[in-house]
Amino acid sequence: MSVEPFNRLVKLAARAFYDDITTKGENQPKTGRSDNRGIAVVVLDALTRRQWVREEDLAKDLKLHSKQLRRTLRFFEEEKLVTRDHRRETAKGAKIYSAAIAATADGQQNGREGEEKIKLHTHSYCCLDYAQIYDVVRYRLHRMKKKLKDELENKNTVQEYICPNCGKRYTALDALRLVSPEDEYFHCESCNGELVAESDKLAAQEMGDGDDNARRRRREKLKDMLQKMEEQLKPLMDQLSRVKDLPSPEFGNLHAWELRANAAVRAANGDSSANDSSKSSQGLGFGGTPMPFVGETKVEVAFSGIEEKGEDIKSENANSPMKVLPPWMIKQGMNLTKEQRGEVKQESKMEGTSAADEYVKAYYAALLQRQREQEEAAKREQELLNTNISNGLNGTFERQVGLKSKRDENDEDENVEWEEAPPAGNTGENYKVDLNVQADASGDDDEDDIDWEEG
Amino acid sequence: MFFHIVLERNMQLHPRHFGRDLREKLVSKLMKDVEGTCSGRHGFVVAITGIENVGKGLIRDGTGFVTFPVKYQCVVFRPFKGEILEAVVTMVNKMGFFAEAGPVQIFVSNHLIPDDMEFQSGDMPNYTTSDGSVKIQKESEVRLKIIGTRVDATEIFCIGTIKDDFLGVISDPGAAS
Repeated sequence: MSVEPFNRLVKLAARAFYDDITTKGENQPKTGRSDNRGIAVVVLDALTRRQWVREEDLAKDLKLHSKQLRRTLRFFEEEKLVTRDHRRETAKGAKIYSAAIAATADGQQNGREGEEKIKLHTHSYCCLDYAQIYDVVRYRLHRMKKKLKDELENKNTVQEYICPNCGKRYTALDALRLVSPEDEYFHCESCNGELVAESDKLAAQEMGDGDDNARRRRREKLKDMLQKMEEQLKPLMDQLSRVKDLPSPEFGNLHAWELRANAAVRAANGDSSANDSSKSSQGLGFGGTPMPFVGETKVEVAFSGIEEKGEDIKSENANSPMKVLPPWMIKQGMNLTKEQRGEVKQESKMEGTSAADEYVKAYYAALLQRQREQEEAAKREQELLNTNISNGLNGTFERQVGLKSKRDENDEDENVEWEEAPPAGNTGENYKVDLNVQADASGDDDEDDIDWEEG
Repeated sequence: MFFHIVLERNMQLHPRHFGRDLREKLVSKLMKDVEGTCSGRHGFVVAITGIENVGKGLIRDGTGFVTFPVKYQCVVFRPFKGEILEAVVTMVNKMGFFAEAGPVQIFVSNHLIPDDMEFQSGDMPNYTTSDGSVKIQKESEVRLKIIGTRVDATEIFCIGTIKDDFLGVISDPGAAS
């Protein structure tokens, strides 16, 4: 996709059609000083060397007053040569653009970001619309040629009639209503004046003498004009035909262009600085301006949120197609900028998982310990049973909250000792103890469990 | 250009026609109503060629009239820009001449008449070539090209040209030479 032939086309068209365009208000006096013909050509030429450009920057570069530039650009917008975009943005939003312009300029960030103010400003951007320019120029040429040819051959033109009295105009299609029964002329519907055929403007200039003579002269003049046009616009037409089969350079709209340019520089640099700048800009720039890509703002919300899994998957996907340019990929490029945060989240998540791991470890440790203690308890119990039953009973009753049967005593011993166990493994939080107990219940006999719930 | 198309129309029939030949009455009334009319969309209805079907009649409250939706095939004629037509001249004046191709009125203004034809006034106004071999006057037949149409809801008016190859008078024996 080469811009060069198109730029040449723009330059030729500028010189052919916009050479003597003055963009000044009608009320201004016409002095030599304010004669700004040629500005249009200068602006168009400058635009061929840029892609999207902020109008203030362009004005600064061209040393033009921004008002004057804006008037010229508005004219070109009407002429469909230029697309413009206006948006209210903060300094951050402007940074996206700055980053993008830096990307197209030399692939490096420059220090322009600092000079923007914090307030919201309406910035206007403009860009040449090459595809449309091609069409516009072609259409313009076609119309010129057709007009001349039609007048030359007097063909296929609907004759117009005009009433000299009231100035009302009719076309030949109204003829049926205009014929009068009295004479062979057409008559005005409103004032009944005799209509005269309105001959073309070119002929009108020299309609003084006889019809035939004038007609012949007009023909010659038209032929001459057509010929002149053909030869003077030949370079332009050649360029048009050269450009015909080339794909026209597309910059997309401003937003897409910025994204693409930023993505390109990120792909080129691959470092985190580009990431950072675009990341920081995402937060503010898009909030203030209505953007066609709604999806991305949605993604941002997830960014500080709790749902880690979805984002992790996305950022993993985004890792590989980092350098792809088309706009539909850029969405993923957006995710990509969040990569770091995604990683951070992963870490925090890792902590969560490791906590769980710790918990499991502690649980098994506790289980093991408990089994050992159980064995010990069993031994001790036997000893107790052997030595003194009543003593053991009393001791357990005092310690226990609920009523216990004798049968419980061995469980009781277990539990008392069990409660000492958790601190060794875990941080000693309540719910963890509970979990342990439940797990124990499943691991050990059922009576154990029931007793705990009663207590 | 002619088209053979199917159109639909709601026909109101007076109760006195209800009887054996209701259908014939309906068709004859349809022909009377429709043939020769002009709609901006379809052009002039030239002739009804057949009835597709007659729907169920609906009795109108209060009047006793019955409305039948009738689908019918018909030939329509609609002039288009760029079309070549043969037409009969109906009126000649200084501004040009009017011609008719069937129901369509066409106006040919004088600057769309070849430059070598001059207007001759008189009781039989006409356009004649300088050598007098070709003459356009009332009743002569011309071949012309339509360069503009004006289509209203109920009327079509065209403007034409004879300033092109193979256009001009066709009936006049002098034109053959």
